[in-house]
Formats: sequence, C-alpha cells, structure tokens
Amino acid sequence: MSISEIASTTISKVKRPVGRSRAIGTLTLLLGAFTTFIFGLGSNPASKSILTFNPTNLTGVIPPHVGELSVPSKATCLILGILIIAVGIEILVRRPAEGLMVRFGGSAVLFVIGLLIWTVRVPGPAPFGVINMTAVLVGSSPLVMVLVFGALSGVMCERAGVVNIAIEGQFIGGAFFGSMIASTTHNFILAAFMGALIGALLGLLLSFLALRYLSDQIIVGVVIVTMLASLSSYLNVQVLSPYPQYNTGDLAPKLAIPLLAKIPILGPVFFNQNGFFYLMIVLVVVISFALFKTRYGLHVRAVGEHPKAAETVGIDVIKIRYFNVVVGGAIAGIGGVAFVASYGQFQPGCTSGLGYIALAALIFGKWRPSGAVVASIIFGVSVYLANNLQTYNVPVRSAILQTFPYLITIGVVAGLIGRVRAPAADGQPYKRD
Amino acid sequence: MSNSSKPNLWVRYTSKSPVFVTVFSVVLGLVVGALVIIATSPVILHSWSLVFSSWGGIFHALKVTLDNVGAAYRSIFTGSIVDPPQFWHALTTGKDWTVALTPISETLTYTAPLLIASIGVGIAFQAGMFNIGANGQAVMGGIVGTAAGSMLHLPTVVHVPLTLLAGILGGVIAGIIPGLLKAFTGAHEVIITLMLNYVIAFFLIYTLLSTALQQPGQQNDVSRYVDPTAQLSPLFGAHSGLRVNWGIIIAGIVVLFAWWFLERSTLGFDFRVTGASPKTAQASGINAKVVIVLVFLISGGLAGLAGVVQVSSTTHFLDGGFLVGSAGIGFTAITVSLLGRNNPIGIIWGSLLFAALNVGGRVMQASTSIPLDLATIIQSVIVLFVATPVLVKEIFRLRVEHAEAVQLSVKGWS
Repeated sequence: MSISEIASTTISKVKRPVGRSRAIGTLTLLLGAFTTFIFGLGSNPASKSILTFNPTNLTGVIPPHVGELSVPSKATCLILGILIIAVGIEILVRRPAEGLMVRFGGSAVLFVIGLLIWTVRVPGPAPFGVINMTAVLVGSSPLVMVLVFGALSGVMCERAGVVNIAIEGQFIGGAFFGSMIASTTHNFILAAFMGALIGALLGLLLSFLALRYLSDQIIVGVVIVTMLASLSSYLNVQVLSPYPQYNTGDLAPKLAIPLLAKIPILGPVFFNQNGFFYLMIVLVVVISFALFKTRYGLHVRAVGEHPKAAETVGIDVIKIRYFNVVVGGAIAGIGGVAFVASYGQFQPGCTSGLGYIALAALIFGKWRPSGAVVASIIFGVSVYLANNLQTYNVPVRSAILQTFPYLITIGVVAGLIGRVRAPAADGQPYKRD
Repeated sequence: MSNSSKPNLWVRYTSKSPVFVTVFSVVLGLVVGALVIIATSPVILHSWSLVFSSWGGIFHALKVTLDNVGAAYRSIFTGSIVDPPQFWHALTTGKDWTVALTPISETLTYTAPLLIASIGVGIAFQAGMFNIGANGQAVMGGIVGTAAGSMLHLPTVVHVPLTLLAGILGGVIAGIIPGLLKAFTGAHEVIITLMLNYVIAFFLIYTLLSTALQQPGQQNDVSRYVDPTAQLSPLFGAHSGLRVNWGIIIAGIVVLFAWWFLERSTLGFDFRVTGASPKTAQASGINAKVVIVLVFLISGGLAGLAGVVQVSSTTHFLDGGFLVGSAGIGFTAITVSLLGRNNPIGIIWGSLLFAALNVGGRVMQASTSIPLDLATIIQSVIVLFVATPVLVKEIFRLRVEHAEAVQLSVKGWS
C-alpha cells in the first residue's frame, strides 16, 4: 500500500461518523421524554420532594449547613425533562463535533436528579420524602474512582494495541495484597505500592505471553481473571480467615483539603476524599497529557494504530507495548487497593465484576481518559443507585437497574448508540519480519 | 532390545505433536498447584523453618512436604476416580459397590453439562469466534428449562424432552443476540457476550424473585423444583445410590453430533473454513453473516442444554448461586475447549479431567481442608500453558518453532 493510500484510508476512518451524534441525540431525547412524561406527568401536582445537601456520617471537615430544598415534584420534573429534550434537539440539529459526551453526561445527571425527585415525592410510595443529594454523590464516588482506575489501565494498554481484559484480575490482586499490607502496616502508601506491584506483575505476565509468545490476549486475560479470583478465594480461606489481623478492613483516612472541603456539596465530593481519589485525578490529567501532547503519546498511538508503520520510523513497538501494559496493570492494581481502602475488608468476589464495567467505561469513553471519566461517572452512579434505591420503594427492581451499564455498553459496541472505533491494531499480535 | 520403543517415544517427544504440550501443561499445572499448597500450609512451612536445627531436618521437611501435597493430590484422585482399597474390597467381597463406584459416578455426573457446554464453545472456536457468554447462555437455559420443568405437568416421556428443548431454546435466545449483533453491526462478540453474562445474571435474580418462578412461600431467590417427571433419572436406578444419570448419555449424543457436524456436514465445513480464514470463506461464497448467526445459535443452544441438564440432573431447582463462581461451568467450558484443542475427542478428555479436578477437589476440601479453589487455580494454570505452547516446548526442550504463530481464536476488537 502506498503512503497516500494509507493516508487516505486513515483519513476516511478518522472522519467523524455522523451516526454517533444522531444516536446520542436520540438517546438524550428519550431520556428527556422519560423525565417529562413518566416523572413529570406521572406525579401528583400536590407532591413535594425534599432535597437535602448536608453530608451525613462525615468525619473531620464539615461544610456549613445548607438549607433543605423543597420543590414541587411535578413542575421540577417537567422543567428538567424539557431541558434534556432541548439538549437532545441541540445535538440533533447542530451535530456538535466536540463535547458530545459532556452533553450526554449532563443530560444523564439531570435525568438522575429527576429520578430522585420523583422517587422521594410525598405523597408517594417512598417511606421518607427526603433524599440527600450529597450522600448520593459521596456514596457513588468510590465506585466511580475504582472504575476510572480500571478504565485508565485499559486506555494505557489498548492505546498501545494490547487488549487488557484482565483488569478485573488486577483489581482482585491489588485488593487482596493491598488490604494485607494496609492491615499489617497501616500505611496506605505502602499498600498502593504493593497493589501497583501486583498489577504490574500481572501486566507483565499478560504482555510476556502476548508479546513474546503471541498467545491470544483475550484468552490470557480471561484466564488471569479466573486465576486471581480462585487464588484470592483460596488464600482467603488459608490465610485471611485464620489470621484476621491480615484483613482488618482499615479505611484510608480522608484527607480534607483546607478551605475547599468547606464548599457545600462540592467539598465533600471532591475535596474530602482519601488519597486514592486525588491520585486518580492526577493520573487522569497526566495520562491525558502524556497520550495526546507528548512525543511518547504519539509513539504509543502509532503503535496502537499501525505498528508496522511505527516500526519503520524507528519506534520500538514491543518495548512500548511492554511498558504500557505493565504501567496499565499497575494502575489497575492501585484501583484494587483503592477499592478496599474505601470499602473495608477484602472478601472473595468483592470487586464483583467492576473490572468489566471499567472495560465498558473505556469503550463507552472512546478509549480516551476524559471520555472514560464521564462514562465511569455514569456507570458508577447508576450502580450505586441500583444498589441503594430499593430503600425508597422504587417500583423498578434493583436487578433491572443493575443491568444498565452492561446494556448501554452493548448498545455502544453494537453501534446502536453511535459507533466507537478501537485503536486499529488493538489485540493484534505483532511480530517483526 | 528396548531400542525399538525408545527412539519411537523420542521421535514423538521431539515431534510437533500437540498431545505432549497438553500433557506437560497438566504437569505444570499440578506443579504450580503443589507450590501453592506448600506456600500456604503452616505445617510444611514450619518443617522447612527447622531445616538447620537438626541433621535430619531437610529429610523431615521433605517428608512433611511430600506427605501433605501427596495427601491433597491423593484425595483428588481417590475422590474423583477410584479409591483402590475400596475397589479391591468391593471386588473381593462383592459388597459395597456403591461406595467403590461413587467417585467415578460423581465425576461423570459433573462431566455431562461441562462436556455439552464445552462442545458448544469449541464449535464457536472452530468457526473463529469466541463465545465467552456460554455461562450466561447456560443460565438462560436453566431458567427457561426450569420454567418448563416446574410449570408444566406431563408424563416423563414428553416432559423430559420438552424441558431439554426449553433449555436449548433459552440458550438459543441468549446466543442469538450476540450472533445477530455481530453479524449486522460488526460488534465484537467478546464484549457483547461478556456484558450479556451480567445482564443474564441479574435477569436470573429477577426471575427468581418473580411469582412465576419463585418457590411458593419463599422470600429468597429460590425457584420452584422441577417435577420428578422432568428430571434426568439415574442411569442405574434411584436405589443404586449412584448419581450418574442420563445426562452423560445426552452428552455422548452431543459429542457424536459435534463430530458429525464438524467433520461430515457442509455447514460444519463452512464453519471451519470461516474459522481458518475468513477471506477464503468469503472468496468461496460462504455467507459470513449466516455463519456468524448460526455459530451463536448452535453454540448458545448447546450451552442452554448444558444449563438445563445441570438443573434437571443435579440441582433440580435454581437459586442465586446457579453457575456462579467455581460452579460456572460456562467459564470452565472455555478452558476445557482450549485444553481439548476445540475438537470433540479432545474436549471429552478435557472435560473429564476438569470434572475430576472439581469433584476430587471437593473431597480434598473435606479431608485435608485445602480449599476447592485449588482445583480452579490448577485449571487456569493448565490453560495458560496450553494457550502458550511455545513456552511449554521451551521448558521441556521440545522442538521449538519461534515462527509458529499461536492464534487460537479471534484477534482484537476491530
């Protein structure tokens, strides 16, 4: 293939697919219609919903008390619904090139607010007509954080052309050994290093088998997950149960950032978290910058898209792939530590498939760190609500709500909700001639 | 002279025969398993800490290690195949045959659904597609099969086949979704089936809490029992005390079908051509979309059959733990299929081995208190090596061919 041919096919591939904005716009319209007709018109005009914003069970820095907000359920839901519909129409008419995910994410947030207002309406089915918005955000933030760690790991690996389906295994490994170190040393920095080490070793195993021996990356990934799941369950019985001092379930301390932590709502969510949360934010920024603004990032993306071309201009494909998969593994390993540092004791199966949701977030986020963050927020909050809305007698079973992240990923991958494109050489073995 | 046999073995050893790679992978799996036992056994570790405290320390430590690892592996063997003293006792006295045959009967009981599911995964692999959703499809088969088995009340002759068909239908429904999506949107089947596994897992919980399937008077996620007329009865009668049942006969029929299908039928040929080279398939006029849909239809149907066989022969009802964790035969099926190199005969051996490891692992857990998870660890190590034949050949100094690209299945997402 001549250079110009490669260039033209590449350009045709890169050209923005129109289908994505249309599909996202349609989906947004649907969300808006749902909010307007089910939540809005479905509630009694006399119903009221009370939103509170004061964090509960918070230790340390407590932001100033914010008053409750009592809103008429029907009118608020109608307004939210019309707002979402407006965003949907804007997407469909203007077909914005940038910021699709932000618009969709914003609509999803409005939708969730509508859902919560509708849920707690009084008179209504809920036992108590109050919902604590801050508690929802604070409660879902550890899930979002772990998902972001996993999705970033996927970004590192897959941008270099190696499929890391073993994120879940790296979570489990990091969670198990990280919790052990945290329990014995009470030092979460050491625990994070331990998790990074375990994740990196698993990444090394994956890249060793995939790059040196050209084994199928998906099979190796799946087997690594199985191996870690059974190994952690085995060690749980053999080591953690007889020696509970190795699994004390210490939580990482919350590090409040002075002043900022006192901002109502935003403070508890963003500025009164454990160290892993801040580390995650730093990683998002660093990886975005490294991938898209540096020479190294250019090399990585070249390796992921067209390894042969990269090799001809002198980039060491294998080296870059090894490096990225090992670093990606380390990030996922830290994600596992972050999980136990936020939820407590390690238990077999405690990560409950979050690694696969992270994989989904990576795909939904179009293999970009920023997209992965938006996707992780959507998936993390929806998982949290699915697990917690039952207390409000929501007429939707949690089992149905819990399928949401998986269904939306299927929709995305199948192109029903816009098409995404993986790095061209993702998952393909590379061999020097 | 032994001259005639030794070179033969040597020639085979140095040949490219995949059998050796598989056998050595199993050996390596057992070695890693032994290392895991050693590293976590307080008794063994204690004996090694005393190596330098007395002259015989090293021998004592070796003895303790061998005793403990030996006891674990011995109980896996005697628990899944045969316990020689008991067998000898039954042979000489003619009594207690039930006790002597229970291990192998248990293994065969476990083998049946595993073998069926593995054949389903293997057929998909042969067509170049990775059906990682076999577990979800099996769960779906279990759900629909349990519905048919518990809600209908019919004579055995009709009820059993109908229940099995319902299970197949459930698997087909779950399997055809990724098939259609892959064929018509180009979505990668690994992601779709992976996500569907979770969707179906939650769907199981949903159905178990729905009045239609939930056991009356229950608040928990437990289903109704399938009628006795819908159960696969023990091969040697209920009074034999042996659980081995008609499931293994069904599995045998599935193997015969798979062999015939892949080796003799036109469609099976199309499958294998597609798997070997999609370009060739396209050039020879094979309709790729039809093949993709049919692959998932057949693969899903077999997984569904595996699920319903599991319900109808062993559990007789569903609960939230159905095919979860180490009971997830749909996941084990992937590893079994790889172990058997995706061909029906190899899969028979693979499923027997993995079933034996699981059944024996349970006996090991009871007698030595080493957790059953050891069996899964050994299994995953075995498959890791089977998926990396060049590494195994290097370890055992078999003929190494670096140029050999080891592609067992699909490549990448796009």
